[in-house]
Amino acid sequence: MSPPSETRTLSVAIDVGGTFTDVVLVDRTTGQSWKAKTPTTPPNFETGFITGINKALALAGRPPSDVAQVAHATTVATNAILEMRGAPAALLTTKGFRHVLEIGRHDIPRKANLYSWVKPKRPIPAHRIFEIDERLDVSGQVLRPVDEDVVRQAAKAIDAQGIVAVAVCFLHAFANASHEQRVRDILLEVNPAFMVSLSSEVLPVYREFERTMATILNAYVMPLVSSYVSKLGSELSSNGIDAPLLLMKSSGGVTGAASIRKAPIQTALSGPAAGIVGAVYEAGLAEFDNFITVDIGGTSADICLVQNGRPGVTTKSAVGEWPMTLPMVDIHTIGAGGGSIARLSEAGTLTVGPESAGALPGPVSYGRGGTEPTVTDAHLVLGHLPQRLLAGEMKIDVESARRAIEDKVARPLGMSVYEAATGILDVLNNNMLGAIRVVSVERGLDPRGFALLPFGGAGPLHGGDLARLIGSTTVIVPPSPGVLSAMGLTVSSLRNEFARTLLQDLNALDVSAVEGAFEEMQAQALSWLAEEQVPEGGQSIEWEAALRYRHQGFELSVPWGDQTVSDQSAGSLAERFHRLHEQLYSFAQEDTPIEMVTLRVTAIGKLAAPKRTRLAAGKRAAETIIGRQEMYVNGQIVSSPIYDRSQLAEGEVVEGPAILQQLDATTLLKPGERATVHPFGSLIVNIPNAAPELPNKQA
Amino acid sequence: MTVPSHLSSAAESPVTLEVIKGALRAAQAEMSAVLDRTAMSPFIREKKDYFIGFFDEVGGLIHGAGLPLMGNIIKPVLDRFPIETMRPGDIYWYNDCYGSKGAVSHTPDQVIIAPVIVDGRVRAFSQSWAHFNDIGGLRPGTLSPDADNIFQEGTIVPPIKLLDRGTQNDDAVAIFVANSRYPDMVRGDLRALIAAVRLGARRLGELFDRYNDATILWALDQSKRQSAELTRTRIAELLKPGKYSFVDRVDSDGHGNGPFDVAFDLTVDGNGGLSLDASRSSDQAPGPINFLMPPTVPGMSLGLYATRNDPTLLVNEGMINTIEEITLRSGSVLQPNYPAPLGLRGTTFVKVQQAVLGLVNAATDGQGPAASNAYSLYYMRGKGPDGSPFLLTDGVAVGYGARPTADGIDAVYFIAQENYPVEFVEMGFPIRILTYSLNIDSGGPGRWRGGTGVIREIEVMADQTLCSVRIEGTINPPWGVSDGRAGRPGRIFVNYGKADQRSLPPVKDGIVLNRGDILRMETGGGGGWGNPFDRPAEVVLDDVLNGMVSMPAARDDYGVVIDEALLSIDVVATEALRATRAERVLFHYGRQ
Repeated sequence: MSPPSETRTLSVAIDVGGTFTDVVLVDRTTGQSWKAKTPTTPPNFETGFITGINKALALAGRPPSDVAQVAHATTVATNAILEMRGAPAALLTTKGFRHVLEIGRHDIPRKANLYSWVKPKRPIPAHRIFEIDERLDVSGQVLRPVDEDVVRQAAKAIDAQGIVAVAVCFLHAFANASHEQRVRDILLEVNPAFMVSLSSEVLPVYREFERTMATILNAYVMPLVSSYVSKLGSELSSNGIDAPLLLMKSSGGVTGAASIRKAPIQTALSGPAAGIVGAVYEAGLAEFDNFITVDIGGTSADICLVQNGRPGVTTKSAVGEWPMTLPMVDIHTIGAGGGSIARLSEAGTLTVGPESAGALPGPVSYGRGGTEPTVTDAHLVLGHLPQRLLAGEMKIDVESARRAIEDKVARPLGMSVYEAATGILDVLNNNMLGAIRVVSVERGLDPRGFALLPFGGAGPLHGGDLARLIGSTTVIVPPSPGVLSAMGLTVSSLRNEFARTLLQDLNALDVSAVEGAFEEMQAQALSWLAEEQVPEGGQSIEWEAALRYRHQGFELSVPWGDQTVSDQSAGSLAERFHRLHEQLYSFAQEDTPIEMVTLRVTAIGKLAAPKRTRLAAGKRAAETIIGRQEMYVNGQIVSSPIYDRSQLAEGEVVEGPAILQQLDATTLLKPGERATVHPFGSLIVNIPNAAPELPNKQA
Repeated sequence: MTVPSHLSSAAESPVTLEVIKGALRAAQAEMSAVLDRTAMSPFIREKKDYFIGFFDEVGGLIHGAGLPLMGNIIKPVLDRFPIETMRPGDIYWYNDCYGSKGAVSHTPDQVIIAPVIVDGRVRAFSQSWAHFNDIGGLRPGTLSPDADNIFQEGTIVPPIKLLDRGTQNDDAVAIFVANSRYPDMVRGDLRALIAAVRLGARRLGELFDRYNDATILWALDQSKRQSAELTRTRIAELLKPGKYSFVDRVDSDGHGNGPFDVAFDLTVDGNGGLSLDASRSSDQAPGPINFLMPPTVPGMSLGLYATRNDPTLLVNEGMINTIEEITLRSGSVLQPNYPAPLGLRGTTFVKVQQAVLGLVNAATDGQGPAASNAYSLYYMRGKGPDGSPFLLTDGVAVGYGARPTADGIDAVYFIAQENYPVEFVEMGFPIRILTYSLNIDSGGPGRWRGGTGVIREIEVMADQTLCSVRIEGTINPPWGVSDGRAGRPGRIFVNYGKADQRSLPPVKDGIVLNRGDILRMETGGGGGWGNPFDRPAEVVLDDVLNGMVSMPAARDDYGVVIDEALLSIDVVATEALRATRAERVLFHYGRQ
């Protein structure tokens, strides 16, 4: 790395989306920022990546050598999994367990109909799974050593097929990694180019199906992610940028490219996690720390709850069809977005999504061949969107949208077009309400105590309605809702997680075993922080334990306060666990023994946040009106002004009905809603007549 | 919450209807989450052996789950506790099978019910049942193939008030808990069930607060009507007027008796009205395979099948009541007389479902799915290393029937019921799993292959254990259809491949296994659909490479010859084998 110089003050953040690549450039000392947008360039994403950076640098008038840090959210791993486009990979597993992946958890999903459900095809077929004679017991003791000859034969067979991605997952490897490590050595002797993923490194936590899945998905995406990351590195240096490349992980922190090349699966939720980090930052500037984010894109909506400025992190998640038990920001995704199609079933049921018209053919109104009415079409018909999008770059055909809604929804249901369009949005909003309940009520939290923070291109169109539905009084619309993920990248901390399964009775803790496990993870955490060159002042480490009542099958994570292991710490853990159980499930069981299952250590390296300046001088609200348009609200047509949001000065107030237009998103205010421009640029929207006391219906 | 103005103005609209349906689904999902995460019996938390439903004030189903095992579950409580006496905070409990006329079908399933009271009036019920690990009875784990009357199958609870305005009847709980070999689990499971049912009642209450009563009642009625109309349409598309018969068979009752016929005679009249006569079914069994079948079960099975591609429907009264008239014979295996044992009714229940599909095939010349196997189980009881008793109840997957458009599901237990991970059982029990794999060649051959069963090998690490085992379809395996072949039966061994190898009967308790003994469960596959010679050769090759079909079976069953060295298809030899085929049969029973 070059020596620090006075002008090396730029952080650049790149969020590669399906259609556009967003770049945000920030001068960390002055807080000045520049934004650029360029088309995404599949399959060579690095082209759009570097074009965007150069575009932003040109806007700022700064040389590439001023860049001190590059942060990136990538969907390469996610898309490879969702579209089943990963590398052919092989798996070595314990003899007798070749079909663990195929069997899965032997269930049919609860929501499925047993007569129509088809088991999804696995990322690795059984013929690329090799059984190795070896066996550990539950405490990690060796029952049978590794049959090294069989490993060599398998390695040669894999090599002969031209496969480079190899996963290794042995039973109980979370308790003893030595067998997997030995197998890696042998594999690399046979072919040093093998990319090996060990379950003891990817996810050393019990439950073999989930651990195997995480490990093979890691192997499955590794060649793609690895070559992508190295292409990015060489593009950066050939463009004169000599700065570390940091990638956003699903857990909401960044880590160096070297870590990601080893554990690419950690980027499975990279983009959405970056959005949450951005939301936490913007909400913090506006002085909110309890809120629910709703990120609405073209095909899906991601919902996340932030409490005390921290998003939840879960280890019970999924990517596509597959369980994902690595730590991830607790985001609930539903198939509902601007492109979601509204349809009537044969039974007369109105559904919206999960089917989406996507970017192509897109909504009917975009005139690119779409014939099915979408959410965007409903907004247009109701007058929620300016009839010109993207500064007039795209022609909008409202009449076709109206006709589609009339033919396919309104007439069959015997409603007016306006009622049908409103109904489409109501169904969508209620789908999102269900998801908001999952992240709030199911976590024992009352959503009325939370603000709503909508983002993504379509988010701020739904903020008010959603806030009303959950009974919240406040909506926070961040300054750039459409590029919040890129924003998040510029302010993110480094983060890495370590975990170990270690079953213990909390009443009779094996203090030295627990200490040993924590010490080992602490050492890993410290060495990772050193690798990432985090100065000591910015380092912090957190401990957690996953606990359950004996005989339960689901653990709750409880922070391990003082980071010492003793009977006292067990006592205070128990107390915290009882209270958390009570909060989540309405009862505690103090008469029941508690078991400790998994220990976790999280390392955080705080990077100095860029300075953020208040809004530059702007105009009075009335002076920013750039047009008017008719809007349908509650059975009436009203005339709504259209404001240019970028011109608004701090402290200005805009009353609904109003449309606030900006390049990356549109904000809708309905009558009675009132937005105030915060000094740091967010709109703080007051939602009327919300939050009466819930009647006390304790049944 | 207030009524959003744009919603109230559109009350009684299709949109309101979808919103209310969505709220019911969401409440059900929340209740599931509470049960999954807090219950203690592995039956509930890993195998998800529970049911959650909402009912109207007369006990009609508002929204349930795709589990066709439903009687009139609220009625036993209403019969004993007049609705006008119900108060907020009351919770009711029962598990009495005969007393509830089969609304609950074996005693380990505890039914918990909370009324939803709005403005002093009961408007609905929130209900859940879940399978508790041990509630007393003949042997640890309560259910045993050895039982010969219901008193050996656990403590019977008639409908009682478990909570009176929020205050629990601790004495009743104490009696029940004292009769369990695992009192901690029973206590924990009851708490979890109560928490879940209360949560459901609260959510339903909030829904009634959000809309006015008339709107909700309208929506529930509409939703029933939607389900009823579409289900009727689908069934009319499926079944032309006529008389159709089908007989499926349960192999044995575990007491050396059998087979037992589940015999259905269906009449579809000119208006599409259905009547079903099950009276030709066998007499009740001395062993516990009797199924005290609520008359709604075959109709619900048919409704679920007919609407399999209509996911927007709620599973409610409208989907269940598809058959107008059902004749059951008292004293038969589907309507046993008190106090016949009922513990293993699951086997017969699965055969009822297959017999319904058999009727569909009989009526459509084989356009329905082939038969699926009934799930398998083994129980192991003994003392752990610290001397405390343990009870392992481990479900083992089977193969499901192939469909006219897809293979049968490989290695599946049932809806939403998950296996015990190897690393989980080895952590908690003195056993070691040696093998867990698909059971090669068990799936019935066909254009679409039946799903395969599995092999699970369990080594005993305790001094002495008492085991029970249960696999079905060893004599009457799941049938194939439309020229598809029957699934291949399962087997059970002790110390397979060793000098002291022995095989076990398919349904048996009282098996003593000692330290070092290895129990091997090989479960059977589902039936195939269509002629196996029509299965593309490269798909057969894939099955061979992936361990679902052996090379000899590829040749003998599918007429596909594979070059062993090259692992490629011998096209000429394959064409020769496939040139002649036997005459088509509608059903292939594969009886052993």
